[in-house]
This record gives sequence, C-alpha cells and structure tokens, in this order.
Amino acid sequence: MQSLSGEGYKVELDAETDSIRLIGALRLGGLAEYAPLSQLLENALDDRTKLTIDLTELEFLNSSGIATLSKFVISARNRHHCALAIRGSEAIAWQGKSLKNLKRLMPALELTFE
Amino acid sequence: MTQPRTGTEKGDRSIPFTASLTFRQAAVTLLIVAFLGLLGGAVELGADWRSMRAEIQEHTWRSLELVRGSAAEAAFQFNDDLATQVVDGLFAHREMESVVIRDNFGGTIVRRDRGDVAPASAMVGTLFGDITEYTTELHHGPVEAAAQHVGSLEVRLAAGEIAARFTERGLVIFSVGLVKALVISALVVLIFYFMITRPLLGLHTAITRIDPARPGDWPRPRLPRHERDELGQIVQSLDNLMRAFQQGLEQRDRARDENTRLGAELDVSRRIQQILLPSRAELDAIESLDIATHMEAAHEVGGDYYDILSHDGGVRIGIGDVTGHGLESGVVMLMTQSAVRTLLTSREQDMVRVMDVLNTTIYNNVQRMGCGKNLTLALLDYRHVSDPDQPGVSGHLRISGQHESVIIARRDGRMEVVDTDDLGFPIGLVEEMAHFVAQIDVDLHPGDVVVLYTDGITEAADEHHRLYGDERFREIIATHRDESAEAIKDAIINDVKRHIGTQTLYDDLTLVILKQR
Repeated sequence: MQSLSGEGYKVELDAETDSIRLIGALRLGGLAEYAPLSQLLENALDDRTKLTIDLTELEFLNSSGIATLSKFVISARNRHHCALAIRGSEAIAWQGKSLKNLKRLMPALELTFE
Repeated sequence: MTQPRTGTEKGDRSIPFTASLTFRQAAVTLLIVAFLGLLGGAVELGADWRSMRAEIQEHTWRSLELVRGSAAEAAFQFNDDLATQVVDGLFAHREMESVVIRDNFGGTIVRRDRGDVAPASAMVGTLFGDITEYTTELHHGPVEAAAQHVGSLEVRLAAGEIAARFTERGLVIFSVGLVKALVISALVVLIFYFMITRPLLGLHTAITRIDPARPGDWPRPRLPRHERDELGQIVQSLDNLMRAFQQGLEQRDRARDENTRLGAELDVSRRIQQILLPSRAELDAIESLDIATHMEAAHEVGGDYYDILSHDGGVRIGIGDVTGHGLESGVVMLMTQSAVRTLLTSREQDMVRVMDVLNTTIYNNVQRMGCGKNLTLALLDYRHVSDPDQPGVSGHLRISGQHESVIIARRDGRMEVVDTDDLGFPIGLVEEMAHFVAQIDVDLHPGDVVVLYTDGITEAADEHHRLYGDERFREIIATHRDESAEAIKDAIINDVKRHIGTQTLYDDLTLVILKQR
C-alpha cells in the first residue's frame, strides 16, 4: 500500500480496491508542497480503468489542495481511460460547493455524498 | 530594550581596603594566631617561672651548703678573716642583696649589703618575694648529734635582679610569638589570595563586563587548576545560566520579530482591503440606486472584495471572497479589483469574455505566486430603465459569476434568492472556465432591495459555534426592507454582531445593499 503522511493528515492508495483515501486536515503551504500528492494521484491513474477518491474523512482542504484536486480531475478527464469516482461527506462544510465544481469540470465524474 | 549603563550602576566599584576579603582574612588570621601565640607564651612563661623559682632555691641552698662548714668554723673561732672570705665569696653573685654571718648571741660577725638595689615592685614581690630570704644555722662539733650551735648564715636575694632575668625571657617568648603570628598570617593570606581571592576578583571582573543584551558572549574567566573545584563549578553554573539567558533572549527576539512581521503584514493587508473601496461621494452620485456598504476585516484579515463602479451605461458591482487570509489573499483581491476596473475601462460588455479574461489573469498570477489561491466572484451590471414598454421597471440587473446567493427583497414582500453556483466557477482555480459562465437577468422595481454579502456574514459564529445562518439573515432583511439602504445595512450588521457577541471575528464581514429608487 502506497501512502503519504504529514502533520495531521494521511493519504493511502489501496491498489486492491483501486481507491485513495485522504484522512485528516490538509493545509500544506502552497502548490509546490502538494506536488507529492499530485504525483501520487497522477500515478494512480496509470494502468487503471477505475479509481475512487475517498474524501469522507478529509475534514479540511485548503485552497492549494482544492487547486491540486481540480487539476487532477481535469487530467483524469483529458486522459479518458480511467473512470473516476469521488466520495464526499455531507457533514463536512468545505466539500459541498467544491466537489460540485469538480463534477462540473468532469461531468463523467461519479460524485456521491454520504 | 537595554538601558545604557551609567558609571554608578557599574559593578566594579572599588572596595575599601579595610572591607576587602584579603584584609579581613589577614586581620582575623593575625588575631587568632596572636591570641594562640600569647596563650602558648603565657603557658610557657608560667612553666619558666616555676622552674626558675626551683632553680634559684636549689642553687642558693647548694651555695649555702658549700660554705656552711667554713662559716661554722669562722663563727666558732670568731675568725673575722675567714668569715669575710665566706661572705665575700657568696656576695660575688649578682643576685645576692645581702649576706650576714651572726654568732649564737645574735651579734653580726660580717655583713655585706648591696646599696644600689632598687626596691622591688609589687609584681616582682608577688612573683619572687617568697623565695628571697634564706637562713642556715651553723653548728660546730665532730658529730652532728653533739654539735654546738655557733651562729647563723643569712642571705637575701635581690628580687629585682631575678625579675630582670625573668622579664628578659618573657620578652623573647613574646617577640618570637609575634614573629610567628605575622609569618603564619602572611602565609595564610598569600595562600588564600592566590587560591580564592584572585580567581574571585577575575570572576567579578568578568561579571561586570557582561553585556545584558548578549549574556551568552560573556568573557568566561579561565581559572587554571580550578576546573574541578567549587570555583570551577560556579563558573560553569554561571556559564550555563548565561547561555540559558541568551537562548531566552533570542527566543523572545524571534517571537517579537515574527509578531512584528505578522502585525505589519496584517496592517498592510487591512490597508490593501480598504484603500480601493468606493467613496461615499461616488455612491451618492448614483441617482437611481440607494447604496449602503459595510466591510470589516477579521482579526486575521481575509480576502473579501467588493466594488461599485459607475460608468456611462450604468453601474458594475463586484463582490467576491479570496480563499484564505493575510497578505497573499489581499494581493489577489487587489489584482481582481484592478482587472475588473481595467475590463470596464476597455468597455468589455460580454460577461463570458470578462470572466474569462479575469480568470486567465488571476490564474497565471496565482501560479506565479505558487499559492493556489482562488476566489468566488459575482459581477452585477446594473442599468437604469425608463421604458414605457416596461411599466414599473426602474432598473435592470444582470448577474454573473459564482459567489454566495444574491438576495432580492421585493417591495411587495416576496423574497427571491438567486443561486449563483451555476453562473460561473472559482476565479483562478483552473486554467479554463469560460464555458461555465452564465448569467441571469433581473428587473428591479422602485423599493426592491438587492443584498450582496460574503460568507463572513452567514457563517459568523457565536460562542457555541452556531452559525448566523441564511434563515436569520433573510428574516432581518425582510423585516427592514422598507427602510433606507443604510438602515437595512445597520440592522443586519447589528444583528450579526449581537449573534457573535464577544467572539473574535474569524472572517471578513462584507455587505452591500442596493435599493432601487
């Protein structure tokens, strides 16, 4: 299992279930600090036909993180081969509007709220 | 921070010699050694006194015993020549004051007296007065038992002479004792000075040279051969203390510098936010609209934006909220204001084109900044209407861009909420967003109120983290919609403040009220 972690957050790629879980609160300072996460997401698209991003335990994501996630969704959209699903939580305030915007970036995105 | 030190505050005041450690130590040592020396001397002198008395007595008796035979012979025969020889022999000793040979009737046969003897003092009398008189009886005969008493031999010793010898010995003992005391004191003082006083003085000098601003750089004294003793420990402890002070000072300075920097940054951010807001005069010049605005920066300044720009064809109103807080958010807000104004000046009317150019501009700059900031932004184009074909309609509003909802409180009591989520996309988030831009047109009638706001209002939290909320917000608008724009604004802001209570303001509060005249 591939993973990333830092103060207050954890990112786990589960190859068996083709899913990436983001847990905690991500407030890295600037786009450059999100490069490892960006790389992990991009690499996960390779050789896959389906990928699920699980955000149900991601309490906070700052604007650089949302920008990184947006860029990833556009990349997935442009690469066509991989079906992308995002799971969010109704209970987490930042996700409502932001995840709907992701869905607009990639209409094929399968967005579910729990 | 640090007061310049004045001379009187300096620690290196000269110590009066009599108060110095060396002097006090010398004085105490001298007193103790002198006292012990005197005590020892007195004991020695006492012993001397006793042995001297015994010696004098023994010596005198022996002398008398030696001459007793001759003296008895002289007394028996009344031989004056022999008696004179005996008395003169005894009298040759300096300490003899008088020597007398008497016959058995008490008459003097021969007598010698020393005339130049000074009378003995009281002390001499006490010390030696009891051993000055000696008398031995003279007998003549073949055997002791049948001897005939023929007279007596009497001598008196000169007490003053004996005392002079005693005093001389006493002086020697006292002088030797004094010299011993002085030498011991000097040795102890020298040892004390080199072992303790001098290193202490060195330490004291080092302490007086400590710069209170930089205690860590204190001139730590080198005390050779004291590394492992108490002095070495004092120096080590002081050194640790100074280093700890230095660290504390540095931490304090860093925290202060960081606070100053943050404070200065917040001041700049606050200034940026306020510096380009439309003036009251500009707003009053717009005849067809009654306008009131409120913008209040949070403690940690956010990136709220609003602008009201009057132009030939009407009024362009912008409201937005840059993500995050601080200087970067302020800079993005400033760029947005400038870009919106530039597009207006270039007479760009097409909202899709306006949003596209804004997005590209902000996106590219934010990429340079590397901070991933973006903003919600709604632009509203207002135009005054006086068309006989549209009776009752006084204004026209075109709304575009994604931001909070636009609330329209109609004069007849209806409340309309325009959701802007599908009218645009966050500016600066993605490279291309033109195809997400849409617009809604709204007619305004006299008395209609349009309310624009940022989430700082609806998400203002009270002490129990309860948000102010859309519902309460709409209620207060509905209650006050008949009043002037200023009165509506005041009512809303007061209600929000009541809700927040004493809580810190965590997000900027921005409110724009447009009322169709």
